[in-house]
Amino acid sequence: MNLERFTIDSIKQGLMSKQFSDVELLTEYFKRINKYDMHIKSFITLCEEESLKKAKEVDEKIAKGEKLGFLEGVPVSIKDNICTNTIKTTCASKMLNDFIPPYDASVVKKLKESGAVIVGKTNMDEFAMGSSTENSSFFKTKNPWDIDRVPGGSSGGAASSTAAGFVPLAYGSDTGGSIRQPASFCGVVGIKPTYGLVSRYGLIAFGSSLDQIGPLAGTVKDCALGLEAVQGSDTKDSTSIKEEYCINYLNTIEDGIKGLKIGIPKEFLSEDLNKEIKSKVSESIKALEKLGVEIEEFSLPITETGLSAYYIVSSAEASSNLGRYDGVRYGYRTDKFEDYKELILKTRTEGFGDEAKRRIMIGTYVLSSGYYDAYYKKAMIYRQKVKKLFKDAFSKYDVIVSPTSPILPFKIGEKTNNPLDMYLADTLTVNVNLAGIPALSMPCGFSKSKLPIGIQFMADHFNEEKIFRTAYTLEQELKVDNVPQMKLEVK
Amino acid sequence: MKVTIKEVEYIAKLANLKLTEKEAEKMADEFSGILTHFDNIKKENLDGIQMYSFDDESSKLRDDKVIEFENKEELFRNVKDMSKTSIKIPKVVE
Repeated sequence: MNLERFTIDSIKQGLMSKQFSDVELLTEYFKRINKYDMHIKSFITLCEEESLKKAKEVDEKIAKGEKLGFLEGVPVSIKDNICTNTIKTTCASKMLNDFIPPYDASVVKKLKESGAVIVGKTNMDEFAMGSSTENSSFFKTKNPWDIDRVPGGSSGGAASSTAAGFVPLAYGSDTGGSIRQPASFCGVVGIKPTYGLVSRYGLIAFGSSLDQIGPLAGTVKDCALGLEAVQGSDTKDSTSIKEEYCINYLNTIEDGIKGLKIGIPKEFLSEDLNKEIKSKVSESIKALEKLGVEIEEFSLPITETGLSAYYIVSSAEASSNLGRYDGVRYGYRTDKFEDYKELILKTRTEGFGDEAKRRIMIGTYVLSSGYYDAYYKKAMIYRQKVKKLFKDAFSKYDVIVSPTSPILPFKIGEKTNNPLDMYLADTLTVNVNLAGIPALSMPCGFSKSKLPIGIQFMADHFNEEKIFRTAYTLEQELKVDNVPQMKLEVK
Repeated sequence: MKVTIKEVEYIAKLANLKLTEKEAEKMADEFSGILTHFDNIKKENLDGIQMYSFDDESSKLRDDKVIEFENKEELFRNVKDMSKTSIKIPKVVE
């Protein structure tokens, strides 16, 4: 089986035509995971036994001719900040090292109902704070294109698990670029949906007004299917959309993009941008023009201040959300303590890693007396300005295009000593979260050193359909071969 | 903007974190860099915009209904120290 090129559709067809059974399929996937994941390290927890059990049930359903679910038998990976009943959910933190949720996140519930098989929980930056997956308390995940480089973050395990062919579909979360940037670094497709389109119930909170769960996959169609499977309203998330939502993206994905208006924000293609990234993205823009879209350059001067506003707002929310980790009800608890205060202080000091502490500290600072007005309030007001500027832009353009990341995948350890330098890597993705709009990253080519380059498509709230259609059309035109040749020493 | 070690220690206290002297020193340095970047926000003209000017709609509230959680035992699966159905913690009130 050529697993690394399997799509959801080829799996469905293979199962239905009895080319292979789901047990055979899962066995092959686990063979591949067991062979290569010791080098890539995508997974914190693997669920081999449960997966094969579930696959057997799928095979029985097929044999009996029962009605099959939307993702029946399809292997998926889940980022380790999304709660899975009875499966350890660590957030890649010592704080939740032994945490076994008593319930499924709504997304997981939907996936199970649709017949998907959860193969494991993927590595990430601790509490989703980071852009390289180096902040995991357990181990560093490697980029399948070059194992000396980071896979991006914070959904680095999700992106690498897709790129390495361990699963055809992965679920991550995106607070400031955490799906799109690792998708770009690993050469896969990933979407951050409109805020509210996917329920956050059971997603361990980082920045509640910014967080959103989304899929990553090898192709645009699979990414669209992955979103369809989990989108919709949920009474357990008061910020989720209010009405039923059943848009079938595949109905229109092949309709072409003739007549669409695409805006290019010139500040997103500034001089700081890596030259190879600029050139590949420019080539893609030319390709889009050839495909019949109208291209126009315009000014959207939000990158610099947007990054500041993002780090202020997200850290403020993180400091509040992470206040719950006190060693009382669940999670890590310090060994020795005299009193209640010491229990909390020692638990938090020992349980959180450096980056989580840094964000809690920044958040506490910008919310503290005397700084609230100067930082937090101003950042929240600036956020409104970002929203307005995007709204104005989308009154003129259907889709906005930019690179996903201003830099190529960097070497492991290259940026760990300079947090600000790491934060600057998020310049092109964070404003999307401030505005709550959807955005997708897809591969558009490679650097000379064969590192993937991602292009980002943004659209107005709930306009995922336009994004998928544009991305699919470009994908068919560029035909980027995004399966890495993993030259790994296999024991 | 320069941040002093004393300020860092004060913030750590508010955040229920304990930093070593070396950590506090490092964080003061990092904070100064990060806050300088945050100063971008002070250069922006934000006249006439309120905190929620362009938010579309308010959150949806669900009915305040009691829903029985089936697996009560599983709810306590992650508790470190228990006595019957209560969680044990050190004495809070003297």
